[in-house]
Amino acid sequence: MSKLVRVLNVGRLEYDKCLKIQQHFLAQNLSQPDSNTLILVEHEPVYTIGLRKQAYPDEYLEKLKSLGAQVKKTDRGGLITFHGPGQLVAYPLLNLKNFKPSLRWYVSRLEETVIDLCQVNFDLKAYRMCSTGYTGVWCNDAKIAAIGIYAKRLVTYHGLSLNCDVDLKWFSNIVPCGISDKSVSSLSKIMNKNLGIKQIEPMLLNSFSRVFDCDLEIENEEQVQNLVNKLAG
Amino acid sequence: MSLIFRSNRLFTLGVQLAKSNLIPNKQFSISHRLAQLKFTNQHEWVKVNGNIGTIGITDYAQDKLGEVVYLELPEVGAEFEQSSQFATLESVKAVSECYIPVSGKVVEVNEPLKDNPSTVNSSPLEEGWLAKVELTNPAEIDKLMDQNQYEEFLKSDDH
Repeated sequence: MSKLVRVLNVGRLEYDKCLKIQQHFLAQNLSQPDSNTLILVEHEPVYTIGLRKQAYPDEYLEKLKSLGAQVKKTDRGGLITFHGPGQLVAYPLLNLKNFKPSLRWYVSRLEETVIDLCQVNFDLKAYRMCSTGYTGVWCNDAKIAAIGIYAKRLVTYHGLSLNCDVDLKWFSNIVPCGISDKSVSSLSKIMNKNLGIKQIEPMLLNSFSRVFDCDLEIENEEQVQNLVNKLAG
Repeated sequence: MSLIFRSNRLFTLGVQLAKSNLIPNKQFSISHRLAQLKFTNQHEWVKVNGNIGTIGITDYAQDKLGEVVYLELPEVGAEFEQSSQFATLESVKAVSECYIPVSGKVVEVNEPLKDNPSTVNSSPLEEGWLAKVELTNPAEIDKLMDQNQYEEFLKSDDH
């Protein structure tokens, strides 16, 4: 039997509100082992930091807030990154027992999803860097997608972010993911044409379905809006 | 079964001899190696010696996680119920929870691990131990898997 993943595209939603939705489905998928969910979202400008919070003193975080973005502390893996308009964020809430019970495998599949997207749609060679400090997905020596996840009893949350036509200046205020000697880019910049979230979304779903070998069930807009209002209103 | 019976008698004999000061203690390291090693289906292990359990994650678990880059260990003195989360491991870009195999009170944590977290990968059953607890319910040990049972479990589809 093929694995089924229910897709909820919540559109533009502020980080904390989306986190509530993630937590709802995390709890649901922990108690219903066959249930898997994928949330697609575009956040308002926000810098998020991961589990290793001590790496970022409060004064530094206050400075980032003064630049017009929110700052959120999370429990995911990875260091600091930025989410905002023009960046497609995907939060798969998968029960890895339905796939492969390995976080290392799961992270590599998230990378593969973006690599597949680039290859299939743009004939673009995106790649992962094998060394520990450089995870995520790279193209032309610049990072186009970042990954940071958390697993509770093998049910995942948080996920990946793919730069479509995000304003890359937001990244110049931080050392993204702790990597100081490389830059950040976007699909639009690399392809030298405007590639917005709406164009990239179906491509991401296509690649995700192929790479994770699963069927997708897209929740309709009205249902999604009701859910957002109920959980995050 | 008879091997265990013989080894228990050896241990008891060893203790008696040690108390009599006739035999130096280092000869009894073999009896300590017979301390119980048990496993959970969440891929944690516990080595029980007297009333102290040393806890860590299995080789299978470290392989599935990837290289550990950061960990959060409990405070000494903290108490946990069996199967509750007692530690957090961050491997590359992924944070996961460790669940305590037995109920207990933390008496020691592996502090040097914080500076060398990848020891969990290179030596998961020895130097990569996470914490030591004083067991609050030793009977829980009996329900955990021994090495053979754990190896069978890994071969099954349910892991």
